Amino acid sequence: MSQPPADAATSRRGFLTAVGLGAAAAVGGGAVAGCGRRTTSQGAATNADEVFAVLPKYTAIELLKPDIPGEGAIPNGYLRYPAQLGQAIPTKAGSNGTVVKTMSAYWGPTPPGLGRNSFLDAINAELGVTVNPSVQDGNGYADKLSAILGARDVPDLLSAPSWEIDKIPRFSQAVKALFADLTSFLKGDAIDAYPMLGTLPTAAWQYAVWGGRIAAVPFPSDGPFPWALFYRKDLADKAGVAAPATIDELYHFGKTMTDPGRGVWAFGNVFDMVQMFFKCPHAKGGWRKKAGGGLEFKYEIPEYRQALEFTARLYSDGFVHPDIVASKGGDAAQLFNAGKMIAYEDGLGAWRGTQSEQTKVTPGFNMQPMPIFSAVGGQPLAWGGAEPIFYTFVKRGLGKDRTEELLRVLNWCAAPFGCREYELGSYGVEGKHFTRAADNSPIPTDLGRREVAGQYTSLGGRVPAVVGTADVPTFVQDLLGYLRTTIKFLEPDLFAGIKLELPANYSRVLVPTEDRINDVLRGRRPIGDLQHIVDEWRATGGDEGRAFLEKTLANNGR
Amino acid sequence: MSPRRSLRARLRADWPLLVMTAPAALILLVFHYVPTLGNVIAFQDYNPFEGNNPLEAFVHSDWIGFGNFETLFQDSAFWDAVRNTLSITLFQLVFFFPLPIVLAILLNSVASPKLRSFIQGVVYLPHFFSWVLVITFFVQMLGGAGLLAQEMRRHSIHEWNIMTNPHAFLVLVTSEAVWKDVGWGTIVFLAALAAIDPTLYEAAAVDGAGKGRRLWHITLPGLRPVIVLLLILRLGDALSVGFEQYILQREAVGRQAAEVLDTFVYYQAIIPQQWGVGAAAGLFKAVVGLVLVLTANKVAHMLGEQGVYAKG
Repeated sequence: MSQPPADAATSRRGFLTAVGLGAAAAVGGGAVAGCGRRTTSQGAATNADEVFAVLPKYTAIELLKPDIPGEGAIPNGYLRYPAQLGQAIPTKAGSNGTVVKTMSAYWGPTPPGLGRNSFLDAINAELGVTVNPSVQDGNGYADKLSAILGARDVPDLLSAPSWEIDKIPRFSQAVKALFADLTSFLKGDAIDAYPMLGTLPTAAWQYAVWGGRIAAVPFPSDGPFPWALFYRKDLADKAGVAAPATIDELYHFGKTMTDPGRGVWAFGNVFDMVQMFFKCPHAKGGWRKKAGGGLEFKYEIPEYRQALEFTARLYSDGFVHPDIVASKGGDAAQLFNAGKMIAYEDGLGAWRGTQSEQTKVTPGFNMQPMPIFSAVGGQPLAWGGAEPIFYTFVKRGLGKDRTEELLRVLNWCAAPFGCREYELGSYGVEGKHFTRAADNSPIPTDLGRREVAGQYTSLGGRVPAVVGTADVPTFVQDLLGYLRTTIKFLEPDLFAGIKLELPANYSRVLVPTEDRINDVLRGRRPIGDLQHIVDEWRATGGDEGRAFLEKTLANNGR
Repeated sequence: MSPRRSLRARLRADWPLLVMTAPAALILLVFHYVPTLGNVIAFQDYNPFEGNNPLEAFVHSDWIGFGNFETLFQDSAFWDAVRNTLSITLFQLVFFFPLPIVLAILLNSVASPKLRSFIQGVVYLPHFFSWVLVITFFVQMLGGAGLLAQEMRRHSIHEWNIMTNPHAFLVLVTSEAVWKDVGWGTIVFLAALAAIDPTLYEAAAVDGAGKGRRLWHITLPGLRPVIVLLLILRLGDALSVGFEQYILQREAVGRQAAEVLDTFVYYQAIIPQQWGVGAAAGLFKAVVGLVLVLTANKVAHMLGEQGVYAKG
């Protein structure tokens, strides 16, 4: 079915002739070749020292002493929920009840909107402004973002996941045209007006700088890893299968756990994790330094091809759930919870909520991340980085007072664990959205589960903390244990501290190329096509991206 | 022709009609004619973030001539999409288009009005289901974890998964479309059948014409203007085969089988914000559609049919 690009020009002419447009093809073809100019595309990078010059001052905060102190990228751990919570922010964010429109991503059912949601009412009363959130499905968030940015129709506060931003060409221009410059409000000591924002780590703020100015408030990551390979330990134990420690064992895991007769398949999407096992690089999407100088992308290295071959085999041998094969993975969590799918990759953020919810439904439900390993010898490699999870942008042109009010809202959202504001923003009102367990920890009620969807917590990041609660008694130890074991293998970030705005052509080819690789993964194109796909990627933007990144590294003396 | 009346006199006489058509005309103007001006971005390196508002963005964006068309025509994915779209159109022209006609004739021959309206109710209903529902239904029935596959496994027959087979995609989407819309498609034909003078049938029967003869010499000629009209309109839409149906199943069978022009524009132009290229694809589609409609209409006139509009 595939058609090499070289044939495209001839088939175009052939096609137009076929529909009786031969003359038009001849004339149009000439014009096309003659006076056409391709769309432009440039990247931009802010060097590490320029970024440093505009950063806000950092002020540490410790409302509570952690039981397991954090370290670098590992968050503080609290084994117990505190009995007493103090107030961290004495004043209200606003007083006239003005409406603040927001948009944020959520991976779960859409909550009721303003006017039908008592959780929003409770927090808006506390804030003194009426936040009217638009909560969008996280899986399709890039589509929504593209549409509203293109239409220049952005809400007062817009939260955008960092991984989606790389896919949007001209994002830096969008930032300039649509979002407020927050530098004068937040730079240096100015941030004292928003003390909670001042507690966010400097490493996260570094990324919130576009074109030499602070353009967003970051949501710091609570762990450096984008993916974990989760599996149903309860079901694997029952089948007598241990967590795989080699790539062959992973294959064997798939073979043993798949039982189509019972409607059970071993895997959902696992390709990113398999790439990690094969030690493909991940810096800014997958770049690493080449032995002879210069950069190479993961598509171009043999490890990637091996990972692709391995995963394609999981598909062709029928270890992947057919519903996942037939979709983009929307129902993965549901299949996993129902025990129809045993292992799949997801962010570590999915762990707590799922474990807490499913313990009630399925006694013994035990979701655990598989320890990582190397499929190509040596130490394993863990993808990761200090890039924030979300950025929250403030709409441009709202005036100084309004911008300050919005920043006060974000300040409220940034109140860390250990104060009343945090509890209210994360769980809602006691007795209504949550009840307290014997150890004081909040347990969401059904109303809470329905109405709370990160409407406030996604807007502002907080000092990362992991807190033990009665519904997931071993979670803190499990998560911190995983982070500690895995962080030893963290891939060093080539571009740390440099703010990159990738060339438009490079951003543009990412999704179409992934699409083509997906065809290979699912056996619709032979593995031999990979070279062809990679050549096309290089020609249409890949090499441009490489040149830009190489130059940036050179400018930063790396 | 009556002598031309003054504008004022005509306004006075026809104002209720004008008022009635005004909303439709306004909608047409606002949602069809004004956006047509946006086609200029097909010739621009359109950057929505130039200037202070969307209008200034038009003015400030660079003019790049046919650059977007060049990008488009050199993209193999575009030609994949054109080919898929045309295959689907042609396939459905042969295997879908005649079915509502057949069904309408069958329905028309059901004597009991009660039974007829019951059947009509049943076959109209799927039209009101969304594509999400229709495809979910097909997946639950025919998918790899669906009823059929489960049953086949139970009887140790090697299951075959039609939902993820790119080679069967054409048949699959046509079956879905037939299931959803064949009943709805009969409405126009039933109306046309009702307009055929029953005395013609009586006269033919008296002259000794059997069922087949009456179908051939009365029913089909009676339907011919409607069939030709719908055929021409369908040709004009040759490059649009729908959007949701394909975007929902694209992941299952892959881009190469399921990418049609509309999903191409969505994935290659709207998502990566290549607005100019998207507009160029849209313009290409519109021009081809226009040419097809005019050509088909001309052919219809040559064959003595009325076509979309009467010959001036």
